[in-house]
Amino acid sequence: MNSRKRIFIVAKKEIIEFVRDWRTIVALVLIPLLLFPLLFIAFPIVMQNEAAELNEKTVHVLIQSDEIESSLIMEIENQSVLTTTQEMPANLLTLSDSGNDTERLRNLEYDAILRMEQRNDTWYYAILHLSTSEQSNEARSRILDVLIQWEENLTSERIESAGLDVDSTLNPVRWDGSIKDADVATKGEQAGMLLSLFIPFVLAIWTASAAVQPSIDMTVGERERGTLESLLSLPLSRSELLLGKWLAVVSITAVGVTLQITGLLFGIAYLASDFIDVPSLSVIAILLLALAVAFYGTMVIALYLALAMRSKSVKEAGSVLTPITLAMIMPILLTQFINLDDVEMFWFGIPFVNVLLGLRELLLNRIIIEHVLVWVLVSSIVCFLTIRYAAKQFNREDIITTKS
Amino acid sequence: MQPLLSLKNVKKSFGDVQAIEYVNLNIYKNSVIGLVGGNGAGKTTLLRLMSGVYRPTEGSVNLENNRPVTEMRSVLGVVPESTGLYSKLTAWENIRYHSRLHGIDDQLAWNRTYRFAKLLDIDGSLHRYTEGFSRGMKQKTALLRALAHGPQILLLDEPTGGLDVTSARTVRKLVMKLKDEGGTVVYSTHHLAEAQQVCDRIIIVHNGIIQADGTPDELLELTQTSTLEEAYVSLTKETARPRMEETEKPSKISAIWRRLFTPSSSLEVNEDE
Repeated sequence: MNSRKRIFIVAKKEIIEFVRDWRTIVALVLIPLLLFPLLFIAFPIVMQNEAAELNEKTVHVLIQSDEIESSLIMEIENQSVLTTTQEMPANLLTLSDSGNDTERLRNLEYDAILRMEQRNDTWYYAILHLSTSEQSNEARSRILDVLIQWEENLTSERIESAGLDVDSTLNPVRWDGSIKDADVATKGEQAGMLLSLFIPFVLAIWTASAAVQPSIDMTVGERERGTLESLLSLPLSRSELLLGKWLAVVSITAVGVTLQITGLLFGIAYLASDFIDVPSLSVIAILLLALAVAFYGTMVIALYLALAMRSKSVKEAGSVLTPITLAMIMPILLTQFINLDDVEMFWFGIPFVNVLLGLRELLLNRIIIEHVLVWVLVSSIVCFLTIRYAAKQFNREDIITTKS
Repeated sequence: MQPLLSLKNVKKSFGDVQAIEYVNLNIYKNSVIGLVGGNGAGKTTLLRLMSGVYRPTEGSVNLENNRPVTEMRSVLGVVPESTGLYSKLTAWENIRYHSRLHGIDDQLAWNRTYRFAKLLDIDGSLHRYTEGFSRGMKQKTALLRALAHGPQILLLDEPTGGLDVTSARTVRKLVMKLKDEGGTVVYSTHHLAEAQQVCDRIIIVHNGIIQADGTPDELLELTQTSTLEEAYVSLTKETARPRMEETEKPSKISAIWRRLFTPSSSLEVNEDE
């Protein structure tokens, strides 16, 4: 029997065993598949419903002013606002000074207090509110909407009375035509730009997090369950064992990442189908994308398998791999902020960061030969080193005897 | 006669600890050999050396054709002490996994498995997940797994440990049957009575050294005693060392860290009370 067949037998068994746990299906299939649609579709729907519910509520506003116009009060009341009017309190430093009215807001007697005062030709106002109350924020927002409109009307009246044209005075500089038409990037390129922000992020985070559990389970977990010794007495080299397990973790992680990216694309298509198209990528860019993903998966999973196998117990492996997973977020965040138009070459020499940057460039269909050469070379070396390190751990004689 | 498996000047050490010291041992065809010794004697280490899980620090472990055991593992069937079954696989799937890695056709492996499963009275449970199996069922499944590819030598590490009387008896009967069919079994145990009942040759291991090797009668003659228990005691007078695994040292950083969080005991014995 050839080596490849033995590797596949190991991988198949690992996958079957892993999939038979229903919790795995939830963690690896349902959550990644539903996460982004829930975030992009269900979440905005819930938000809209909540906002509509709040919009229908009548809020109670106290107006403190000696000279407010009745037309303005009527405008405010038209926004489902119940008003009570009283005189302006005395001895206020400014209108924003809440003075003795703090408690009226805190005990929810009123949702907001509007104070208005005219000094010469200028109206001064303040809206007192409780920022920790949704209803108070809503009351403030409704008053502001009315005041902005009222201010615009007042401004227009004053411009007209001065004999000027209102439109040209208020908007002396303006865009001509459609802003969208002025962007020379195609819809496909714009889609690539948007996806270059999401896909490396999802790929890196999900690979780093989804690989933890199977890596631990198939190495130190196997040792703790006592199944490793019988496996090592079979006609199977340790390298074949490592590759079989690596293939299983890669397959499991790849399913999770693919499903999550599918969910992400579905969510984006649902939200932005009018202005988003399929990213326009060349065949070479697609091939290089696949290579970058393969590099990233190989490095992360080989490293995880090595560290998990090195650990004395499942508990120790968990406490080693969890901070490493969190640390993986650093390069991911870094790559999101690097300006690709002016990116320095050294970034492509930093392991993990380089592959994610490469992914971003490729999703924009930018194939810069020098960049590609550097990240391919560096990643190949790192892949070789991580696999070698993993092989070293699998070849340790004490892997069956190390105990917690 | 050419031995099936031979250990020549085999020494095994883990760091500073000598687990096995210069062992010479030949395993011949159609015999049941009992490795008898207390905890930490070196029985499991010897079995792991025979199965190729451990590489000898010095010496060699070779098969009949003088090839290293690591190159010919298919001639061996191994049942470790822990049985090593996957709980989310059925008994048959566990067996098939190993037989496939041995390169054996599924049908052939099934025929062998079913035949022995009937003898062990486990044929009705082959398609059940091993998760709910008793210790005895697990041990029997592990035996079937080790036999499915038709090994020349069966290595059993305490196969009756933790089993009830009936299960232990069934396992022993299977070992005897294998011998009757021309098989070779190496059987580690710390029960002398069991070794006497099953094995035609007993090897007494103590502190990593083979203290005696022979038939029960030869051991009695060697020690001038009347029972095997007396023979064993006279051969293993030296205090037993702790198990190898227990002698493992934590890393330097771990040792310092642990010391920081280990309060020194302030309790003293009060002689007056």
